Amino acid sequence: MAQATVFVIDDDQAVRDSLGMLLRSMKIDSQLFASAQEFLDAYDAEWNGCIVLDIRMPGMSGMELHRHLVDQQLSMPVIFVTGHGDVPMAVEAMHNGAFDFIQKPYRDQDLLDRINQAMSWDEAHRSEEDRKRSLQECYETLTPREREVMECVVRGLANKVIAMDLDLSQRTVEIHRARVMEKMCARSLAELVRMSMLMQQTD
Amino acid sequence: MSTGPDSVATEHRQAASLPDVDFSAAEFDALLNAAVDGIIVTDRDGHILRMNSAAETMFGLAAADVAGQSIEIIMNTSDARAHDRYMDNYMRTGERKIIGIGREVVARHSDGREFPVDLAIGEARVKNELRFVGLIRDLTEQKLAEEEALRQREQMNHVSRLTTMGEMAAAMAHELNQPLSAISNYTAACTRLLDQGDENRRDVDMALEQISVQAYRAAEIIQRMRDFARSRESGRRPVEIRDLILAVLPLARMDARANHVDLRIRLEKDLPTINADEIQIQQVLLNLVRNGIDAMKDMDEKSRRLDLRVWMEDATHIWIGVTDRGHGVSEQAAEKLFAPFFTTKDSGMGLGLAISRSIATAHGGKLSYFNNPVVGATFFLILPTKAD
Repeated sequence: MAQATVFVIDDDQAVRDSLGMLLRSMKIDSQLFASAQEFLDAYDAEWNGCIVLDIRMPGMSGMELHRHLVDQQLSMPVIFVTGHGDVPMAVEAMHNGAFDFIQKPYRDQDLLDRINQAMSWDEAHRSEEDRKRSLQECYETLTPREREVMECVVRGLANKVIAMDLDLSQRTVEIHRARVMEKMCARSLAELVRMSMLMQQTD
Repeated sequence: MSTGPDSVATEHRQAASLPDVDFSAAEFDALLNAAVDGIIVTDRDGHILRMNSAAETMFGLAAADVAGQSIEIIMNTSDARAHDRYMDNYMRTGERKIIGIGREVVARHSDGREFPVDLAIGEARVKNELRFVGLIRDLTEQKLAEEEALRQREQMNHVSRLTTMGEMAAAMAHELNQPLSAISNYTAACTRLLDQGDENRRDVDMALEQISVQAYRAAEIIQRMRDFARSRESGRRPVEIRDLILAVLPLARMDARANHVDLRIRLEKDLPTINADEIQIQQVLLNLVRNGIDAMKDMDEKSRRLDLRVWMEDATHIWIGVTDRGHGVSEQAAEKLFAPFFTTKDSGMGLGLAISRSIATAHGGKLSYFNNPVVGATFFLILPTKAD
């Protein structure tokens, strides 16, 4: 996993460079881009951290870039930097799933707080994503029959009932159940239930 | 066709081909006094012989008191000297600089007050003696009215510029926020870097340098606004058309950026100097640019493009064209486009184009437009390189 980084996208060189220096003084890694296109051209799926995005830019605007990121399911949190009178735009951005926005001129601490929040959210979100991904990988090793049994088990059905429902012997259900626990690396019924719930969760 | 005083007098006689009517002296005086304009008759050396009552009122003099005195008592000193020269010259060469031609001069009332008059001098020969007849019209009221009209026009121009600045307030706030944000970021970075010790010295130096650059940038934005909005004496001076345009560009760019418009500038290389009121021409330019930006308000952001071009159409005419990619000028709007208080916008007074056109006209130029073949309209200002 790459180092968490703040990706600054702003067409104004002075604003961009000054923000880069501010982040450097905080020992936060940053990468600076002069346009939305420049960012997209360089984009790497390994990137993580957050995006600080100027809402007004020539060419592809901040709003457009954000919509594009959402469409592509690129989940890095976006903090919009807005000017005076851009509040309606900022509200729209929040509706579209922006992490937060901050109005220029801002106090450095306010921006840094938001950046830190966004970075922690990204980290937490990412570990959950990673967990989901590994569960999904385990689940994929189950046979169709084992998946049926797992579904019944997490619904809280007893082996006897499952055997009747699936028209299997009780002994066979017990074997399938043991294989499910083993393949999913679940140490208890309760853990298997949690795993199932996590897998069904969508963002 | 230089002719001496004698032959001129002959011409006059020939021109008056009415049947002979004999006037008595009393009748003649009554006629003179009935005239609205002041009439003063002098001998060839400028001594006053007669003065009608309009002239008496105008100068606060009584004809009886001034008979025989020099005409110079009703002139201001410099005009009196010039008058002497003209008359001398005429007597010697017959070249007309004032005889038979109206001329605006400064007259002097008996109380010392000076006032503008239109003076026309004719000549006549009475019993072989040369006489000059001065016809004098008081221009005080007319001058006051002209000055008042000029002052009002200038005031309206100023109000219009202030209105423009008011409408651009949001764009300016945005523009000022950029350097201010940068300064604030650099300052915060410096504070942290200094806390961390000496190894960051280079970064701190660089940030400080940038802070000064950005402070200057903010100051310059304010200066441009002040230059544009300030009230001042109007007047024409020789100005480089290129400098004039470059000076107003930051304001135009500011508005373009705030409205996500791609503003492109093309100035022909060799642009001349013109005699113009710089700020008024800038006012017209900014007005055209802002109208163009406004015309594209509801277009997709990617297609908002405005082209400003300046070129010499021929040796004596500069064209300044502003081409937008909006909807063009509709037929209904076309009729009233340049009329005061006509507007198609939600905000604004509808004075921009009316004022711009009056400025163009006052410079001996022209302001007009055409709809582009495919999309939008082009407004253009034509200025003569040699204004009258």
